Amino acid sequence: MRDFAYARASRATEAVQQVARSADAAFVAGGTDLLNLMKDGAEDHDLVVDINHLPLTGIEESEGRLRIGALARMADVALHPVVRRRLPVLSQALLAGASPQVRHMASIGGNLLQRTRCWYFRGEGFACNKREPGTGCAALEGRSRWHAVLGGSDHCIAVHPSDLAVALRALDATVHTLGPRGARTIAMAEFHREPGHTPHLENALRHGELITAVEVPLPAPGARQRYLKLRDRATFEFAVVSVAVVLRMSGRTVEEARLAFGGIATRPWRSPEVETALEGRPLTERNIAAAGRLLVQDAQPREDNEFKIELAQRALQDVLGRYTGGSR
Amino acid sequence: MSTDVVGRPLSRVEARLKVTGGAEYTSDIQLPRLAHAFMAMSTVSRGRITRIDTQAAEAVRGVVAVYTHETMPRLKQPTYRPFFKPYIPIQSPDVHHAGQPIAFVVAQTLEQAQRAAELIEVDYEETGEPQGELDMGEAFLPPDGPDGPNTYKRGDVAAGMAQADVRIKAEYTIPMHHHNPIEPHATTAVWEGSKVTVYETTQGLGNTQHVVSEALQVPLGDVRVVCRHLGGGFGSKGPVWPHTVLTCAAARALGRPVKLVLSRAHMYTSSGHRAQTHQTIELGAHRDGRITALDHVITQQITRDDVVLFNSSEPIRMLYDIPNLSNEQRAVRLDLPTQSFMRSPEACTSHAQEAALDELAHALAMDPVELRKRNWSSRNMDNGQEWGSNHLRECYDRAASMFGWSRRDPRPGSMRDGDELVGWGMATSAHTAGGRPGSGARITIGTDGKVLVQVGTQDIGTGTYTIMTQIAGEVLGMPLSAITFDLGDSAFPQSYTSGASTTAPGVGSAVKRVCTAARRAVIDLAVAQPGSPLRGVPADRVDTADGHLYDTANRRSRVSYRSVVGHGGKPLDFTVEPTPTPLGYSVGAVFVEVRVDPLLGRVRVTRVVGCYDPGTVLNRKTARSQVLGGVIWGIGFTLFEHTLVDPATARIVNPNLSGYLMPVNADVPDIQVQFIDRPDPASDALGARGFGETPMTGVTAAIANAVFHATGKRVRDLPITQDKLL
Repeated sequence: MRDFAYARASRATEAVQQVARSADAAFVAGGTDLLNLMKDGAEDHDLVVDINHLPLTGIEESEGRLRIGALARMADVALHPVVRRRLPVLSQALLAGASPQVRHMASIGGNLLQRTRCWYFRGEGFACNKREPGTGCAALEGRSRWHAVLGGSDHCIAVHPSDLAVALRALDATVHTLGPRGARTIAMAEFHREPGHTPHLENALRHGELITAVEVPLPAPGARQRYLKLRDRATFEFAVVSVAVVLRMSGRTVEEARLAFGGIATRPWRSPEVETALEGRPLTERNIAAAGRLLVQDAQPREDNEFKIELAQRALQDVLGRYTGGSR
Repeated sequence: MSTDVVGRPLSRVEARLKVTGGAEYTSDIQLPRLAHAFMAMSTVSRGRITRIDTQAAEAVRGVVAVYTHETMPRLKQPTYRPFFKPYIPIQSPDVHHAGQPIAFVVAQTLEQAQRAAELIEVDYEETGEPQGELDMGEAFLPPDGPDGPNTYKRGDVAAGMAQADVRIKAEYTIPMHHHNPIEPHATTAVWEGSKVTVYETTQGLGNTQHVVSEALQVPLGDVRVVCRHLGGGFGSKGPVWPHTVLTCAAARALGRPVKLVLSRAHMYTSSGHRAQTHQTIELGAHRDGRITALDHVITQQITRDDVVLFNSSEPIRMLYDIPNLSNEQRAVRLDLPTQSFMRSPEACTSHAQEAALDELAHALAMDPVELRKRNWSSRNMDNGQEWGSNHLRECYDRAASMFGWSRRDPRPGSMRDGDELVGWGMATSAHTAGGRPGSGARITIGTDGKVLVQVGTQDIGTGTYTIMTQIAGEVLGMPLSAITFDLGDSAFPQSYTSGASTTAPGVGSAVKRVCTAARRAVIDLAVAQPGSPLRGVPADRVDTADGHLYDTANRRSRVSYRSVVGHGGKPLDFTVEPTPTPLGYSVGAVFVEVRVDPLLGRVRVTRVVGCYDPGTVLNRKTARSQVLGGVIWGIGFTLFEHTLVDPATARIVNPNLSGYLMPVNADVPDIQVQFIDRPDPASDALGARGFGETPMTGVTAAIANAVFHATGKRVRDLPITQDKLL
């Protein structure tokens, strides 16, 4: 890691200008991922701009939406009364991530921007198109237990690791940003990108653009919500498969199903076919199984991650299976 | 001997130091003019360096020196074991594995050294396709090594198999593991003239002393090695690794102290690992459960240049009363770093044996506890000699009763709790303890009555400081507050490596012997001293307690150690030489409950009960901690630990605590521990045997056996991740 400069911003516009001015500058919030990336040589910055003193920590409810400041910490959001009551899937996803120590440091904005755990990306000297575009992808023929079976390309099969992003995707959240050219909003559906030919471009942000808030429409009261995370140890570990569910039922019939998946895809994954297959039909084991098959129909497994095709379907069965008994 | 301190569950005597930051670990050492080192590592697995450019590295502010194979001072290849590598890196352009040191950078600060190491440019010529996975077609039988023969036979296996009513055969595979002590390996070398002091993270002061002496061509007496506290070793700090001698060489060349602390990633290629293993095991038994024959082959990884194999087959050869037995240790050469011992090599063979016994019990429709009892032996089956004591059958009974084993329905998949499958499994824990050269010790009793005991041993986190203080207190009859036990300096009387579960019996015997001699001398002084209340009392009528000597016929006639030694006017000093400790066998029985989600394949260990026979329990708290550590590690070993090697490059892809999964608190269940706590008459350490490794054996198979009982699936390829149970 080379020596780098550190600056503390006191206003958001100032932070944006500072980062926008230098191609190698970065924002730092909790620092729980950025500093590791720098130590591992996966990122190289000459300036880090500390945004922790910006007034972006608020969590406010108005008009059926919850606005979460980008600098709110994972732990604070997870335990916020409105989040616990109205957005349990979000609370569960946050508490399923990282460790208590990390959750007290890591910010909501930073969580969405954390980078893949792909060991070829994080390790020095492997072929990696994310780390050094054009060098190839060692994971394609390598160790791929934690890699994607959906949304990959010949250039990258790295999984986006955020549990939060999976929940926000199911909740149809939007991301508010401030950039050198002003403020804008980006739908979660548009926020993370598939790797395609440019795996190093992971999201819709431009250089110097700062996430200021995440806005979540509150699901109708009575909507079922759940986050299921499967992983190799009990906690403090990334998902091999995860599912976020927001389900509106009328009797035994599914009115609306919003399902997002983590651990199996290159970005937080939603499948319109899966949701359409469930909606307007009774929630039965048979219909869930049919939806599960649709989820993985285009999957491209490798030797180490082939099990995810079966496990993802079973996860769906587990997470929806408990609602087949009808409405309460 | 009546203070009754042995066995008490005392907290560590150095606990306050440790929790207040007062314990100085090797990487904490600060010295004037100290320079910091960092190593650059190869990124190819098999080849040679054709060009190495250090210009940019040397230009980094604060850099003192950048040594490459062209400029590094020459070192002599050590012959002393355990220096396992057949070469010292940065002495030639050859690259033997990825993550091998190729340059040694010294700078004013660690960060400067790290940055400079990143900037070294290297071109390699690759000399072949690297192999990182066991190819069983390449397995061969190496010649017998320093750790014993690689083949072992007794009786006639073919005849034994022919007599059997039931036979089973199975293959078990266990991946590479890394020790991951929380304290990284560290060396600080300080030269004063031609003498060197090495502050070293080591489980064996003498090993470092000998290897540094040999590699740097310095007389043994001119090398002092210091290690007061160790933050875990698990075997990785038993051998001496090249970075130690490289640091000594750089410090000598630069004429200033140099400190090297390995990074976590460096520890995955610089300090050994548990070899990847493949085992086949065939068992034959009579209908009544008596085993007629066992045929076992273990194949493990070694490197292209060395044959480092350990006596990992001890459990196979020693434990059960099996008349016909064959055991072979084969090897496959890979382009990976040198393996070493890891708590404990026997854990792998124990796993296969105890899992295979469960398969046999199932095939016989016999209770697995009963099967083990029917094949129990009071002897070391390797050489036929009786153990000093062996209360294994009692361990089975007590642990089974605590666990509630009698309520087990033996049919796989038969026990449920709600949606979850419940499985109960068990296994035998067994590990040798002792049987090594032993230890010396020195005692000084001051005129103030304070006692100092010194041994050149190590406390690798197991509680050596504490249990030796207890032994000294017990033998002398003195309060622990009057005793200081000191270790971690090669200037103290010589001791053996803290490994192979030998420290408690070896050092314990030495402390007992030296304290016995000192106590006797003080008694002799007291009965001869003018004015002493004990003057004229026969020495054998005098006993000691609470810091006093007293006449057993008249307990009011008493005098303090302080008074006797004080009147003598000079401190008393005694030294004992090392005497070998007998080979003991610390055994136990471990029972495990798992719960498995049948839809998702998730396994949780929910209950563990163990009962163990380590001879005398010297300290119930530290002994119990050994069990907790062994069981928790066993959970990781069985369910998720795995060093992953990239097939194309033979590079380790998860060299960090983020990618290499070990248990976290949420994985750890209720663990109940009991001890038989009966002295082993063959032990000279108040009846105690070593116990460090025993709890690490057996528990892995008990978990796998419980998973079978829950699901009916035998997962013979570790780790048992959920995908294997779908």
